[in-house]
Amino acid sequence: MNVHAFLHNFWENTISGLAQGAIYALFALGYTLVYGVLRLINFAHSEVFMLGTFGAIITWQALGLDQDSPTPSFGPVVLYLIVGLAGAMVFSAVTATIVERVAYRPLRKRNAPVLAFLISAIGASVVLSELVGVLSRRKPRGVPRLVQPEAVFTIGGAEVTNLTIGILVVAFGLMFALDRFINRSRLGRGVRAVAQDPNTAALMGVNKDRVIMLIFILGGLMAGAAALLYDLKIGGTDFFAGFDLGIKAFAAAVLGGIGNLRGALVGGLILGILEPYTSSLFGTQWTAVTAFVVLIIILLFRPNGILGESLGRARA
Amino acid sequence: MLLEISDVSLLYGRIQALHGISLGVDEGEIVALIGANGAGKSTTMRAISGIRPVASGRIRFNGDDITKLRADLRVVRGLCQAPEGRGIFPGMTVLENLEMGAYTRRDRAGIAADLERVFGLFPRLAERRKQVGGTLSGGEQQMLTIGRALMSQPKLLLLDEPSMGLAPMLIQQIFSIISEINSQGTTILLVEQNAQQALARADRGYVLETGRIVKSGTGTELLHDPAVKEAYLGVA
Repeated sequence: MNVHAFLHNFWENTISGLAQGAIYALFALGYTLVYGVLRLINFAHSEVFMLGTFGAIITWQALGLDQDSPTPSFGPVVLYLIVGLAGAMVFSAVTATIVERVAYRPLRKRNAPVLAFLISAIGASVVLSELVGVLSRRKPRGVPRLVQPEAVFTIGGAEVTNLTIGILVVAFGLMFALDRFINRSRLGRGVRAVAQDPNTAALMGVNKDRVIMLIFILGGLMAGAAALLYDLKIGGTDFFAGFDLGIKAFAAAVLGGIGNLRGALVGGLILGILEPYTSSLFGTQWTAVTAFVVLIIILLFRPNGILGESLGRARA
Repeated sequence: MLLEISDVSLLYGRIQALHGISLGVDEGEIVALIGANGAGKSTTMRAISGIRPVASGRIRFNGDDITKLRADLRVVRGLCQAPEGRGIFPGMTVLENLEMGAYTRRDRAGIAADLERVFGLFPRLAERRKQVGGTLSGGEQQMLTIGRALMSQPKLLLLDEPSMGLAPMLIQQIFSIISEINSQGTTILLVEQNAQQALARADRGYVLETGRIVKSGTGTELLHDPAVKEAYLGVA
């Protein structure tokens, strides 16, 4: 155990871990929203994210930007980033909607057993991933160099870059907006009503199909934003990008309490921070298992996750 | 006739729960549906509100055939059910539960006025408006389901066992509120095991036995019917 390395890199790890954790959290919201309403693990959500990473790149390409383009000046960069974010969010939201329509709704109409949904989810995930694999010839795609990481200030000797700040601002801003929407708006109340009691919600005039469509779209929008942030942080993507990150995001959702929006945030951030800590303490080969070791330990003591289950009780 | 059910049958899997029942509710009435446990009272309610599809027969509401209409669209037409027992949203506050009742409405002023009306009928709910629904007592939850249903401005209010599990004093209170709601202009179809109270308040009543309507008449007629007395009013 390398305590010296851990202490030496503490702030650097914390900062990069928070940025990574914010991406996990945004990604995890899609799992949590769908589970909260349908009690269904949407395994195809990892591909919703992956298509978002391509969505941003395709959008920029349409604007004439590729990975060899020179970095534009500040004004246009902001514009490109906003358009790229919109592109990624639309791509992911449309993918999520299609998955709902094709893989889940027909089963729901026939009152299929839970296992059928699970198989359908895995099937949709494989189809989407392979489809993009074929279209991209299984090659990674680079992201235009829009943001050159530069230190803005330092904490404990560790640099906080413009990119890190951007990731945190976008992620927290969107999560705050989603939380407000679910807890304060009329449609959000409808979502919580269906999550708590679908039959009674129907008796109040809530259209369940519309609520289900809404949560897939919301989850897709959040995953799309996570995808853009991932593009900028990593500098590229490939057709397999959703798999690894999807498992981590899913673990984050369970860790915080699946079905609980704020749980996704807590789970994502904890996971994001613990990964670099583990890597400092025990060596990089242990990073990948961090998520699961932490998950097992937490679930031993709190089987419903840190903040507990239930979309309906998101306020508590 | 505001609500007209003709020859409705309903299946739970292979079990037939309703065998061709017919009943009607006129505008302004309180109609009681009484019967023993498992007679099909709640099932009839579910068929009317659209939670369970019917196997055959027709349901007409306000002149339109709604037999195949989705449950949430029936609410828009003015048909609202206060579900049996603790059918509130336990994770929402009292106020949010009431706002859920007005889910299909957009007229803010009208919603605010109805909220005051509900708080007038149930002062207890006004005191607890910020409290989470799941922490209310049984009687308060019952009041909340009725108040929430009123928030949709129903033409016909369906009440499923409003007195279930309540203390005798509370039962009195709930029934007088039901009469008050009716006198303010809402038509009510009431399902009750407490036949005495229900028939005393109702204009008309139907007696349901094993999925069939076996008797109907005015509330007073049924109250004095020897067979009804023996079976449902605990008089030998």
